[in-house]
Amino acid sequence: MQAAAAGIGLRAPHLAEIDRTRPKAGFLEIHAENYLTPSPALATVERLRADYEFSVHAVGLSLGSAEGLDAAHLARVAALVKRLEPALVSEHLAWSTFGGRYYNDLLPLPFTEEALDVVVANVQRLQEMLGRPVAVENPSGYLAIAQSTLTEPEFLAELVRRSGCRLLLDANNLHVTAHNLGLDVGDWLDKLPADAVAEFHLAGHAENDADGETVLIDDHGSAVRAEVWALFDRCVRRFGPRPTLVEWDTDIPALGVLLDEADRATRVLADAA
Amino acid sequence: MLREWQAAFAAQLLTDASVSEKRLAIHRHHVASSLARALAVSFPTVEALVGAEFFRETARRFVMQDPPRQPVLAEYGAGFADFLAEYAPARGLSYLADTARLDWALNVAFHSPYAGRLDAAALATMTADDLAGLSLAFAPGVALVRSAYPIGLIWKASQPDAGDEPVDLARGPARVLVLRQSDGASFVSLGEGEAAFVEALDDGRSIEAAAGMAAAAEPGFDLSRAFALLNTCEVFAALQH
Repeated sequence: MQAAAAGIGLRAPHLAEIDRTRPKAGFLEIHAENYLTPSPALATVERLRADYEFSVHAVGLSLGSAEGLDAAHLARVAALVKRLEPALVSEHLAWSTFGGRYYNDLLPLPFTEEALDVVVANVQRLQEMLGRPVAVENPSGYLAIAQSTLTEPEFLAELVRRSGCRLLLDANNLHVTAHNLGLDVGDWLDKLPADAVAEFHLAGHAENDADGETVLIDDHGSAVRAEVWALFDRCVRRFGPRPTLVEWDTDIPALGVLLDEADRATRVLADAA
Repeated sequence: MLREWQAAFAAQLLTDASVSEKRLAIHRHHVASSLARALAVSFPTVEALVGAEFFRETARRFVMQDPPRQPVLAEYGAGFADFLAEYAPARGLSYLADTARLDWALNVAFHSPYAGRLDAAALATMTADDLAGLSLAFAPGVALVRSAYPIGLIWKASQPDAGDEPVDLARGPARVLVLRQSDGASFVSLGEGEAAFVEALDDGRSIEAAAGMAAAAEPGFDLSRAFALLNTCEVFAALQH
């Protein structure tokens, strides 16, 4: 996949318009879990493959589950990847399933040696099933888990070393996490293995006031904020231009607004190249 | 151990109890609100009937009682109609649960494969006896939803482009056949004889036997008209050889 042009997250309200007008975009990213049924939306995506490269972003594999991956869900995601042959496949450093229930949230992990063993085993199983490496994304953090013995970037670096996976660096998530947990972004970036970053994500976030304390919420419901653009610029300078995605999932704007955001990301990538 | 830690964390997500850790409330709120949004996608008519705020609270209560078992949210909500039937705050809306059944059937049809429909030309070469003894299978996603209320009219009146014309609830009962077409899901309203015909075929009866049951249900039942309607709607699967 070319790093030169940024892509957009393909969302249901834009599907028909993109199918009809085929606007210029670096690539299209879909959430795997929305395309695991033989719906008309999947047929549209299969048509769009003629004009676009795809990235498959899974949100429900629960790489952090102590119980291991759900074999049935893993098989469905693997079948989709085989069918679409995307340029990139990614998931999150989080868990979302426990005890046979699916919580539809990216829940935090304690960064411990035990959790690392669990995530490494789950990522290896996923990569074996797909026959290719995947990129693992840093989620937004709201809770400092007292049990953690490693930092998030140390955990990610070890995960890369032991599983051979790549990283999806979400600049918005990093900004949100650093604010909410009081982390130093420079220190966080310095600990990541520079050559492991395969993709960047950008999105908007909300500011919530919780009893006088500002908490940033990763809601993908607005334009990318100035602080996140600045952090993205810093990431591109450190890790080099990589395929970059703009996500917008709630209060979804007109397609042109999203494409303008992607154009801005493309210019940042071009400036650093 | 991670397993025990995750069990304890998960136990705090689907609960009404107030939790001192307000950051955990961010996760709890996201679990409930994102799953309620997913249900609104699958049950748009129910949401249109009760309004966004009432729907959100209703969905949140359903999520706590019957959370998803797997991550494909288009497949979550099979029990929502039954939940609504028992949901006291919606008791005044007697037709709500049946409307939810129609929404769910449309959702299932939308996510069903579209392939391998009956080619009526394949029937033209059969003898009359063979045809009468034939059993026909329905295509994936086809479902008959019966209701004492006019749920097809309620569905139409709830569309964003519908006018303000009220629906007369006395215009029930409804027999709504949901189907998967090439570009999505839709439905047709059937007469009593046609509905009985569909149910008999679905039970594995031959065309002849099903037509007999349909005529018993509705004396004026017209087999060739019913068959033409159903075949035009592409509800039959291809013949198995």
